[in-house]
Amino acid sequence: MIVEVGHFALILAFVLSLVQSVVPIWGALRHDQRMMAVAPPVSAMMFLLVGISFAALMMAYVTSDFSVLNVVQNSHSAKPDLFKITGVWGNHEGSLLLWVLILVLFGALVAAFGRNIPPELRATTLGVQGWVTAAFLLFTLVTSNPFIRVSPPPLEGQDLNPILQDIGLAIHPPLLYVGYVGFSITFSFAIAALILGRVDAAWARWVRPWTLLAWLFLTLGIAMGSYWAYYELGWGGYWFWDPVENASFMPWLAGTALLHSAIVMEKRGALKVWTVLLAILTFSLSLLGTFLVRSGVLTSVHAFATDPARGTFILGILVVFIGGSLALYAWRAPLLKQGGLFAPVSREGALVLNNLLLTVAAAAVFVGTLYPLALEAVTGEKISVGPPFFNLTFGPLMIPLLLAMPFGPLLAWKRGDIYAVSQRLYGAFGLTLLATLMVVWFQGPQQILAALGIGAGVWVIAGAVAEILSRARFADVGMSTGFRRLFGLPSSAWGAAFGHIGMGVVMLGIVATEAFQEEKVLTIRPNETVTIGDYELAFGGLVRRTGPNYIDDVGHFDIFKGGVKVAEADPAKRLYTARRMPTTEAGIVTFGLSQVYVSIGEVHADGGADIRLYHKPFVTLIWLGCLVMGFGAVLSLFDRRLRVGAPRPARMRAVPAE
Amino acid sequence: MMIWIVFSVLAVAAALSVLVPLSRSGREQRETAAYDVEVYKAQLGEVDRDLDRGLISEEAAEAARTEIARRLIAAGGAGEEAPDTPTADAGSRPRARIGLRVAQALALVAVPLGTIGLYSVIGSPDVPDQPLQARLQEPVQNRSLPDLVARVEQRLAEEPSDGRGWDVIAPAYMRLGRAEDAAAAYAAAIRILGSTERRETDRGEALVIANNGIVGAEARAAFERAVALDPSAIKPRFFLALALTQENRKDEAIAAWQALLDEAEGGEAWAEAVRVELAKLGVETAPAVAAAPGPNRDDIAAAAEMTAEDRSAMIRSMVDRLDTRLSEEGGSTDEWLRLMRAVAVLGDADRLRDTATRAEEALKEDPAAVAQVKSLARELGVGS
Repeated sequence: MIVEVGHFALILAFVLSLVQSVVPIWGALRHDQRMMAVAPPVSAMMFLLVGISFAALMMAYVTSDFSVLNVVQNSHSAKPDLFKITGVWGNHEGSLLLWVLILVLFGALVAAFGRNIPPELRATTLGVQGWVTAAFLLFTLVTSNPFIRVSPPPLEGQDLNPILQDIGLAIHPPLLYVGYVGFSITFSFAIAALILGRVDAAWARWVRPWTLLAWLFLTLGIAMGSYWAYYELGWGGYWFWDPVENASFMPWLAGTALLHSAIVMEKRGALKVWTVLLAILTFSLSLLGTFLVRSGVLTSVHAFATDPARGTFILGILVVFIGGSLALYAWRAPLLKQGGLFAPVSREGALVLNNLLLTVAAAAVFVGTLYPLALEAVTGEKISVGPPFFNLTFGPLMIPLLLAMPFGPLLAWKRGDIYAVSQRLYGAFGLTLLATLMVVWFQGPQQILAALGIGAGVWVIAGAVAEILSRARFADVGMSTGFRRLFGLPSSAWGAAFGHIGMGVVMLGIVATEAFQEEKVLTIRPNETVTIGDYELAFGGLVRRTGPNYIDDVGHFDIFKGGVKVAEADPAKRLYTARRMPTTEAGIVTFGLSQVYVSIGEVHADGGADIRLYHKPFVTLIWLGCLVMGFGAVLSLFDRRLRVGAPRPARMRAVPAE
Repeated sequence: MMIWIVFSVLAVAAALSVLVPLSRSGREQRETAAYDVEVYKAQLGEVDRDLDRGLISEEAAEAARTEIARRLIAAGGAGEEAPDTPTADAGSRPRARIGLRVAQALALVAVPLGTIGLYSVIGSPDVPDQPLQARLQEPVQNRSLPDLVARVEQRLAEEPSDGRGWDVIAPAYMRLGRAEDAAAAYAAAIRILGSTERRETDRGEALVIANNGIVGAEARAAFERAVALDPSAIKPRFFLALALTQENRKDEAIAAWQALLDEAEGGEAWAEAVRVELAKLGVETAPAVAAAPGPNRDDIAAAAEMTAEDRSAMIRSMVDRLDTRLSEEGGSTDEWLRLMRAVAVLGDADRLRDTATRAEEALKEDPAAVAQVKSLARELGVGS
């Protein structure tokens, strides 16, 4: 019964989403209070219903109910309990249900915390959110229904793709989806503004926290996905410019631009039209990402769906939403009032530069990702666009961005003084120079590019620190007042600084790993040793182990540094018995910020094994930097000014009734 | 029943979420501009706070205040000259009431009915939940073949040296179409219980099926071992001949097939297959050489010389012969199927239907055979 209740609730949610798509917007256009008032309770109800549906599917997974086709295809009774739960979204149907769940969660959040948003804007926003929900629920019910039953049920399932049976899968997709889908709210806000023909002051103020929230999760999701690929795929890489990765990276770039342009819009009332466009583009790229991953156009780990009906349906959704919203934009955007003039050299100017570089970078990734697909579709010719393309296009765009980054926050609004700002960055520049020269000194002049890269990272970090310190003005007001001022800074200022510092840290990690990593591919026999970096690895041989639903050959390595044993690593080559699929489990040992990485390839009859061995200096900085960025976003979210749903009655009294 | 109660509760709750806000009287609405004013006032407060903390200079604060004040005035002005933003609830106007009624009706009727309509198309309200644990505790006789296989599998996982278990599970795997597993199971049975002609042959057959009908080296070795154990066994030699055919060793293949055919007593299903294989190799063979139950060489020769009527009379008499024998002594599945085909040739639909019913009755002990009979009947146009 539970399964069927889930199915019924999902259908009910779809029917409600149709109501949600029509009634509140109609009400908003006719200024009908009651019809607008429908939006919040229906949003809450839809969240409840989809929640019931999701819980029902999860229940079927946990109890291995093989009368549900989706469970048969993606689960196995011997699978550990954790992966029974994560398996719910480890497949096409379930992950769509998760997508919709997050979609209605965001709708419910806006309904719950949006009491300060003008009612017409809120009703229209929730109505637009209803369109997206209706489209995706219809897609789920028609082409990807997770509640299809099998009678009589088989006794055993076909198991989950073993690559996906990992703790990384438990975390990665939900984070990424919260990010993707979070941008649906900014999209709905943008469309609502276009429909109402008005961008209020409140608009920017209430759009920013949602953007920030979505951006936070997308950042963490991408970082998690990258780390997961790093340890699970066994190639030692953290970013492959794989279309699936790019699919999540494009909305991140556009979302980062949106985050910055929303600041200008809130503070100065400028860039309104552009911000609306960015909001549309960001969500369009999220939809595109969903399309790329879900339609099966790409052959990759992530492309679970191979049914052309699904691809066509998603393409339809894509065309309607992106085409429709851009058409609406072309028609209605001229109605929006522009405001707030500024000089080219100003905070606004710097943010425009940021937007320009980020959107062009997103466009470069877009071309690199879609051009091969388009070419194959048109001419049938298969080409692959790899890292060289992205290094040549994306890389150069990042250089001015990183160089300009410290200047932006220091420039004044409206009219800035670049010379005065440069003076405040002397210290940061000095540190950068020092870092660059030290790298050249220790690594030799042939590493000049690495030295410059590290310099760029240091520059960004030092610039952000300099900005925070200069706001406290230690030199003018003395130590104690300086510290008081430092901690009195609004948390969004701290958030921005941490965001920039995080970026610099990621940069350091990438450059150090790329320039200084060592790689060895060799065949090793028991009791042989191999040296990499400062470490010696002694191979103790392979042991066969049996896991709950797999068997694996585990290699044992003792790691020595200067003759002293410092660590052990147990990389494994695993075979999942139900699908007869092998996976690699890399052995990763962290020393400070660096890592030694071993993965096992072919196993030989004489007990030897082919191994891939890496020493990756400072590689953890890549993911730590993302965490720092995320921390910055959290700080910004906690800024008093952005707290959504601030107490209303007190303010009500402050506003005279007109 | 319970499930419909739950459905109703959900549907009612959903309808209410639309209905309740629609029926509530409109509250006083603030103008949109008022929200802007609120934001600007909050911004003014922020400027003051920043100034108090000394984060911005007095001049910068003043400039910011001026700008915000300017926007504040603009927002206030916009509020005044916006007649299309009425403060009264628009829902009280007559036209709006119609819209309201439509929306209410929609909520009350369309939401539950639409959902139930859609659900009745794609839902399966009669299929109960079937968690694995509960299913495993059901008594044995209620279980299907896959369930039983799973139970034996569980036992074999604990006790992999149980040769009899492997012997039991291997043919079950074959019936479930899991040829690869069947081959592995036969191999285990051979390892534990020893090699027999039967096990080797069955293992080879499983390997061939798993290999899409190609007789691979491993399968071939299995058949050769089977022949070594029992040189008179037909099945392994059949597959060895097939292997020769597949390898395009034509002369050897023809010789092997002929040798097999010579041992045929007539009417065996495999003999038919051998003839087909020989025909593919371009060798014409005389049809079945045997006494009862099939027609013998003389019968066929006689038939060739007869008129159409005589021929059909002869066929009828042969069919009757087989029919009588099967009715009295019983027969194998293949024989019953052959009878049905023969009756179909006579074009007598009633008799064919009767034959099918009797075949089902005679073979009722074997569900697979009954299924074969049914499917053949369908094929011949008299199936239910």
